[in-house]
Amino acid sequence: MSIVVKVVQWFTDPAHWSGSDGIPTRLVEHLQLSAESVLIGAVIALPIGIVLGHYGRFGNVAMNISNVGRAIPTFALLVLSFQIFGLGDTPIIISLTALAIPPMVTNSYVALREVDPDIKEAARGMGYRELAQIMRVELPLAVPLIMAGIRTSAVQVVATATLAALIAGGGFGRYIIDGLAQFDFTKMVAGAILVALLALATETGLAALERVLVPRGLRLLSAPAARRVAFKTA
Amino acid sequence: MNWKARSATLAAVLAFALTAVACGSSPSSGGGGTATPKGTITIGGFKFSEGSVLAELYGQALEHDGYSVQFKLNLGSREVVAPAIKSSQIDLYIGYAATDLEYWNNAAGEATGDVNATTSKLNGHLQSLNLEALKPSAAVDQNAFAMTKANATKYNATKLSDLASIGNQIVLGAGPECPTRPFCKPGLEQTYGIHFKDFKALDTDGPLTRAAFANNSIQLGLVFSSDADLNNLGLVVLQDDKHLEAADNVVPIVRTPVATAEVTKILNAVSAGLTTSELVQLNSQVELQHQDADSAAQAFLQQHNYFS
Repeated sequence: MSIVVKVVQWFTDPAHWSGSDGIPTRLVEHLQLSAESVLIGAVIALPIGIVLGHYGRFGNVAMNISNVGRAIPTFALLVLSFQIFGLGDTPIIISLTALAIPPMVTNSYVALREVDPDIKEAARGMGYRELAQIMRVELPLAVPLIMAGIRTSAVQVVATATLAALIAGGGFGRYIIDGLAQFDFTKMVAGAILVALLALATETGLAALERVLVPRGLRLLSAPAARRVAFKTA
Repeated sequence: MNWKARSATLAAVLAFALTAVACGSSPSSGGGGTATPKGTITIGGFKFSEGSVLAELYGQALEHDGYSVQFKLNLGSREVVAPAIKSSQIDLYIGYAATDLEYWNNAAGEATGDVNATTSKLNGHLQSLNLEALKPSAAVDQNAFAMTKANATKYNATKLSDLASIGNQIVLGAGPECPTRPFCKPGLEQTYGIHFKDFKALDTDGPLTRAAFANNSIQLGLVFSSDADLNNLGLVVLQDDKHLEAADNVVPIVRTPVATAEVTKILNAVSAGLTTSELVQLNSQVELQHQDADSAAQAFLQQHNYFS
């Protein structure tokens, strides 16, 4: 009970909402680190997954590479890249990017792979060239799965960006690490709540983006099914 | 059953090795040369590099003057060493005034930046235990604030009070607990009136602090004053001219029955001859150049004519 009160007090203290250790500053730092990592990860991962998925070749290679990526602990990578690049954002972004890549490669590969072969053939038959076929037929159909990959990556990265504080980076992890060092458990809990909220916000925000990006045809296709499920459970 | 034979051999080898070690360690190296031993003094060392260096330094000085010295190096932390001297298992250890005071007074918070006051309070607690702290050395191993040489020149700073007027240009780096510790950021603000531009949470005298000095993301950082690598990193410790930090000067703590006038004289002579920068030098020889503590200490004593 008292810890709840303390945390509420922590959040209502105006001192925690300004300055270089204030929530707005830490939020911007956290978002910046996460966004940069996910963006760089997407630029690397999506083309690989899309191209491999389109041709349906080297699927094992893609999966294995991304699985190896998953097996490397982010913390180990963080410490290693800190040794190489020293203090700053670079080691943090490198390790978060490595975390962001695997789900995006896997999902975009599967997404393109799962496009109905009949549709591909029809597109070919109607005279679409390779690139046009990818851009105008396969990608729109693959959007839901690709977006799911991006969402998974982004949520993971936002949650893991707390590690940045271990090598003197910013973000909400600062509250957790500093709270631990200062035996200030209120601060720790507050930091954990902030990270959880931000991860949830990332999830819902990207879900909204996904709804916008999914072509209308697909939305109409899936809408009745969704309603049916909702009806059953109600 | 091959493994039985093998383990028997192993046991034999182990037994032999143990005997060899036991034989090897009984008469300590060096020695005064004179055949009349003045008695045996057992010296305990803390389980870190500087602990061995200091134990060797004081122990070899005693050895030189004819005492037979038993070295128990890397004995453990103060929680091990202090009970050992209380129960007469060791006769002497080389402690640090403020930290030892706070150990023996059960963390009553009596230690201050004044060495002599701290040592006399320490003696107050030791007396009833038949122990005493000798004269503290000028050499200290305590929290200190350092700057790179370039910044020290730029800001024309040699002591912490020089920073009061230019605090707004300086980022302080230390462990994340620094903003709540009286000897750290709050102390610098209250005692010296330094109001920093910002604080960067790093680690306590670890790799993060070193990296932050290297890319100038901090201008002032918390280190320990006798760190082996201060010179290599081009760091200068600013003088704590208003005595914010508790005085952790090197001080021998000895059992009173052992502390004869002669022993006291020898130990005080070593203390008097040792400075912090020489301690940094010794630490760097042992930690960075991987010399043995005993040979580094011996070379130091020879250089300073203890053996003449």
